[in-house]
Amino acid sequence: MLTRRSVTTGASLVMVAGLLAIFLGALLFQPGLTYARDIKVGIIDCYSGPPAVYSKDALNGFKLALKEINKKGVLGKKITFTTRDTKFKVDLALSMAKQLVMREDVDVLAGIINSGAGLAVSEAVAKKEKVPLIVWIAKSERITGEKGHRYVFSTGENTAMAGKAGGVALSKRPYIKYWIAGDDYEYGHALAKAAWRNLKKLKPEVKLIGKSWWKPGEPDLIPYITSILAAKPDAVIFCTGGRSMTNIMKAIKATGMAKKVAIYIHTATDHAVLKPLGAEAPEGVMGTMDYHFYYPDTPENRAFVKAFRAAYGNPPGFPAFHGYITAKFIAKAFEKAGSLDKEKFIDAMEGLKISSPVGVIEMRACDHQAVLPMFFGITRKSPEYGFVISSDIVTLKGDEVMPTCEEIMQARKGK
Amino acid sequence: MDGAQGITLAAVGSHFFVGLSRAMILFIVTSGLSFVLGILRVPNIAHGSLYMIGAFCAYTFNKLFGGGTMGFLAALLLAPLVVALVSLIAERALFCRLYEREHLMLLLFTFALMLILDDLVKMIWGADYRSVMAPEFLRGSVNLFGSSFPRYNLFLLVVGPLVAVALWLFTNKTKMGKIARAAAVDREMVGAVGINVSWVFAFAFVLGCYLAGLGGALVAPTISITLGMDHDIVIEAFLIVTIGGLGNMAGAMVGSLIFGITQSFGVLFWPQFAIVFPYLAVVIILIIRPTGLLKSVW
Repeated sequence: MLTRRSVTTGASLVMVAGLLAIFLGALLFQPGLTYARDIKVGIIDCYSGPPAVYSKDALNGFKLALKEINKKGVLGKKITFTTRDTKFKVDLALSMAKQLVMREDVDVLAGIINSGAGLAVSEAVAKKEKVPLIVWIAKSERITGEKGHRYVFSTGENTAMAGKAGGVALSKRPYIKYWIAGDDYEYGHALAKAAWRNLKKLKPEVKLIGKSWWKPGEPDLIPYITSILAAKPDAVIFCTGGRSMTNIMKAIKATGMAKKVAIYIHTATDHAVLKPLGAEAPEGVMGTMDYHFYYPDTPENRAFVKAFRAAYGNPPGFPAFHGYITAKFIAKAFEKAGSLDKEKFIDAMEGLKISSPVGVIEMRACDHQAVLPMFFGITRKSPEYGFVISSDIVTLKGDEVMPTCEEIMQARKGK
Repeated sequence: MDGAQGITLAAVGSHFFVGLSRAMILFIVTSGLSFVLGILRVPNIAHGSLYMIGAFCAYTFNKLFGGGTMGFLAALLLAPLVVALVSLIAERALFCRLYEREHLMLLLFTFALMLILDDLVKMIWGADYRSVMAPEFLRGSVNLFGSSFPRYNLFLLVVGPLVAVALWLFTNKTKMGKIARAAAVDREMVGAVGINVSWVFAFAFVLGCYLAGLGGALVAPTISITLGMDHDIVIEAFLIVTIGGLGNMAGAMVGSLIFGITQSFGVLFWPQFAIVFPYLAVVIILIIRPTGLLKSVW
């Protein structure tokens, strides 16, 4: 007997069955979709606060390279990316990285400007979950040095390379009495240590007559400069970055310090530092940088700068260069690996060489650190650009400024 | 390996003046904070953000007026006014409804305001570093005790006392200032004699914030103008207000001088640990005089 109730029950059963069929049908198509899925890069970086200038530049470089790469595709796929803002916080970086790996199922992690976050993500996500991580701005030498492992790479220069570049360049100059000053946090101290260790090794007669440290971003650096000048060193090594960089350059200009004593600051010749200062940028300051959009003046670099300018309106900074080569490394490594397998990707990355705006760059197999050249120059006003740029540039080759593989292995054992 | 061999009487002299000029910026910002604390009883954590907005506005006005002396003066006049306007809106729309709340609530509220203002700055000016150039006549340095002393710092040494005198005249010689001081002591009584306390408070708040903006505009040519510059100053400003005595203008001056000069001398005598000195001074003062050096109005 058909009651009204059984009719409604029957109707709902049909509906449930229908829905189930649709659902299963959708599932049927699912494997096909995942099979053809793109290569996914998860980018964790700080997109708020002062560091955002650098991380956005890096992302733009990365995007520009992807545009070129995706025209052809890699293994018949496209490379896509998704970004997460870490707000310069280590705990946020960690949870974002985990989320990208667990939920978004990314093939590679990249980004990171904050060294603390870089080390944490490298240890707790990359190593633990066996997901490759490519750090592109964070400059702590520990990332690929003593804390390095199979799953972490760096496409940016680090404090060991910068310090060694400074040491090598300064050892060729006549100064004996040095003063070291800088930001009182890891970047400043690591840079100071590396510079002094290498300078002392290459030129044992140098003497360190004093040190001063200020808090990062310290607005008033004039007292530091006056006290340094009073001690009459031959040369000063400033180990500073970020906000303090502009502050120290302004203070150097205001006190006329560069006319009284030789000054070396890693990244003093950086366009991002010099451009906003305009006529206030001091001339005669020695600096090192791993990328300039105006040097080397090669067709490759010109083409990169032109494409970047067309896309984003301003010339690329060093982070853009790092982001750009990171994308190139990722594409070429997957191509070489022949699959999306993460272990194969890592094997392919080791010793991989790519062509870049500044020439061929190798991913060193022993420590997963990109071998980057360093450009040593002196700030001088350029009639061509209307602001101060790096001049008299001397190129220090990558292998000249990098710690040797033995040194790295020793540091890793020592931990 | 400290700077001991460099310490001469000349170095001490020049460091004294360097510290003094830093103290002037600190005083201008801190006096504004102290004013708001003393009269409105609002611990305004967003004070640093207003200082930052002042610096960013200085950048914009300087650019708008084509830089140079004209741009600098325009920035110095107009940037604090913009900050005052922002604070007037904030006061009339938000603060004036909250004066009766407890301090913890106000603290949370101003903290929220700080976050909002910081994001606003990022939306308007972006995350780039900005720089303002000092006008021609304030560039370079003069010889002071045999070491170079930036001209701009000399200028600060002139402006600081001027602001201090103006503030003193205002609070002691004008009717508005006297009412404001009275309201700080007993706001109900001031209301009872028929004075519109609400507008007195609005005025006091705007004036305090104007000083933050002025500090920002003044500091602009010496540093990189960037997000995050607010955090440093607001911590220092609260410390100075605390050691000087809450709401006490003279205390703000004394606190700023102590802070600026211990910092400068710290760099000279023990450069490796220079950061510690001003904070050490704060700790010592608070151990000896927990309520601050001068009389607190709270």
